Amino acid sequence: MIDVKHVTKRFGEGQTAVTALRDISLTIPEGSFFTLLGPSGCGKTTLLRLIAGFELPTEGEITLDGDSIGHLAPNNRPVNTVFQSYALFPHMSVARNVGFGLEMLKRPKAEIEATIHEMLELVQLGEFASRRVDQLSGGQQQRVALARALAPRPKVLLLDEPLSALDLKLRKGMQSELKRLQNETGITFVFVTHDQSEALAMSDQIAVMSAGAVRQVGTPEEIYTAPQSRFVADFIGDTNIVSATLLGFEGDKASIRFGEGTPLTVQTASTSLKPGAVHVALRPETIDVVDEGADRALLRGAVVDSTYFGAGSQMLVRLDDGVAVLVQVATPRAIGARVGLECDTSMLHVLED
Amino acid sequence: MTKFLSLFRRSTGSRELRRQPLFTGMSWLVLVFLYAPIAVLVVFSFNDNRSVVRWTEFSLRWYAAALENDDIRRSAMISIQVALTATIFSTVIATMAALATTRGGVYRGRAAAIALINQPLMIPEIVTAIATLAFFSILRQLTGVTGIGWLILAHTVFCVPFAYMPIRARLSDMSVTYEAAAADLYASPWQAFRHVTLPLLMPGVMAGAMLAFVVSLDDVIITLLVAGPGETTLPIYILGQIRRGVTPEVNAVSTILIGLTVAMVTLTFFLQRKQK
Repeated sequence: MIDVKHVTKRFGEGQTAVTALRDISLTIPEGSFFTLLGPSGCGKTTLLRLIAGFELPTEGEITLDGDSIGHLAPNNRPVNTVFQSYALFPHMSVARNVGFGLEMLKRPKAEIEATIHEMLELVQLGEFASRRVDQLSGGQQQRVALARALAPRPKVLLLDEPLSALDLKLRKGMQSELKRLQNETGITFVFVTHDQSEALAMSDQIAVMSAGAVRQVGTPEEIYTAPQSRFVADFIGDTNIVSATLLGFEGDKASIRFGEGTPLTVQTASTSLKPGAVHVALRPETIDVVDEGADRALLRGAVVDSTYFGAGSQMLVRLDDGVAVLVQVATPRAIGARVGLECDTSMLHVLED
Repeated sequence: MTKFLSLFRRSTGSRELRRQPLFTGMSWLVLVFLYAPIAVLVVFSFNDNRSVVRWTEFSLRWYAAALENDDIRRSAMISIQVALTATIFSTVIATMAALATTRGGVYRGRAAAIALINQPLMIPEIVTAIATLAFFSILRQLTGVTGIGWLILAHTVFCVPFAYMPIRARLSDMSVTYEAAAADLYASPWQAFRHVTLPLLMPGVMAGAMLAFVVSLDDVIITLLVAGPGETTLPIYILGQIRRGVTPEVNAVSTILIGLTVAMVTLTFFLQRKQK
């Protein structure tokens, strides 16, 4: 288990200092596939480098299974990294790359040989042991990088956007491959990505980051269906964010109203919001299109665009208050038509700003 | 005149430039003046005649004579001894300097340090030579130490910037991620250097060492002023000989030196190409 406690990281000094991470606290459970997700510049790679030991925290502490590791050199941490650029040693064979960690740890030759063999089998590159690194394809280099980082049996494996250099088809394959490796080895994986679909597909838990802070931590389902903030809702999937009026709270639910409509009881990210204007997340796949005059219609507007994508169509509806909403439908309405929008109110979610 | 100027105005692309008759003619002229004397020297070193202007017959007699000449053999040995030792010391120093200026992080005075290391290349050699002569005389007097060590020290110093350039270039091109990966895989800083940085840096180190060797081998000015009695290097010996006129023997020795230099430079070129 990794505990990140009140970690702040600043680069530079004085006036020109840049704060990359601001008072981050995070717990990464043992044996989990944990993803740090966020746009570029959010600090996710910096956090990874702090866990690896390539950077030291300006403030705060990092512990691994209770032992403080935040200020150890990288070679003294039982943590290995798969680099974005792989960083395979070009002057060594595949086998020596994989055995490098154990060689540095001065393990017996027989053990090193056995582990190299086992690891290359694990990533299905058994017959490539004596090849030179530059004779491998990008996908194969990726697997060697994985085998090399797993060979010393680290407590934690850090992966820095390892799939970003691969083409789409290879990337899909490697996603399930990574899941399989994590299951088979039981090692904690900390995975950095800016790709929300990758994060949703692979993770046990996701920490969504922006501007040097963790915005939300949860399972992919929690993150997707119950985003706490506008940022998270916006970053994960094609979410519509519409305006509503918060009337008050009923227990842990919120009472809201669209325009002058009837009050609705919906989920909320927080019960400490002030009554008044709030934002509500609305997933496109939970919306139904009805006639404008229908009682069930919660929102009303005009169709401004529609895109056919095979399994259905995506319609863009401009609401009367000017907000554009994406809707998935089987048969689109004509452009310019007035429509009403209805949705399962249990899927509505009031957001913090 | 206007026609001459418009000729340049039109020649924006390199292809156009190459087609200008002036350009081609100038290139040939330069090449001829550069290499013709060397070619003549090489050709006449194989001439079976004492004259260096009249060709008679092919012969290796001047090479045999040169190799049997005790003075040439002695000065060649001194040259090689000085060049090899200076190369080893200067390459080690240059490697450490290159590491400090590319891997030591950003610190105050780094740009100044790089400039200071490279500056000797810009200072006229005669100035360095006179300064070294004066400084070494003081040191010799103070310490009472004499011997070839001073000459080796002087060569080491002026070889450092030559060795430094290719090593630093190689290090700047090398991603620091390799060293990070080594540290991540439990290599101590020394192990990371020994197993990752140094092997990857080797083409640059070899190129630097060869440059240093060549520069030391044919140095005249500094050696002339710093070398003590009995420390005559090959270039100094040749210089002494040609005061009495160019002999075929000197041609033969010079040809050997040219061959050695060309071989070194070619090797350096291929080493630097390989690293790309």
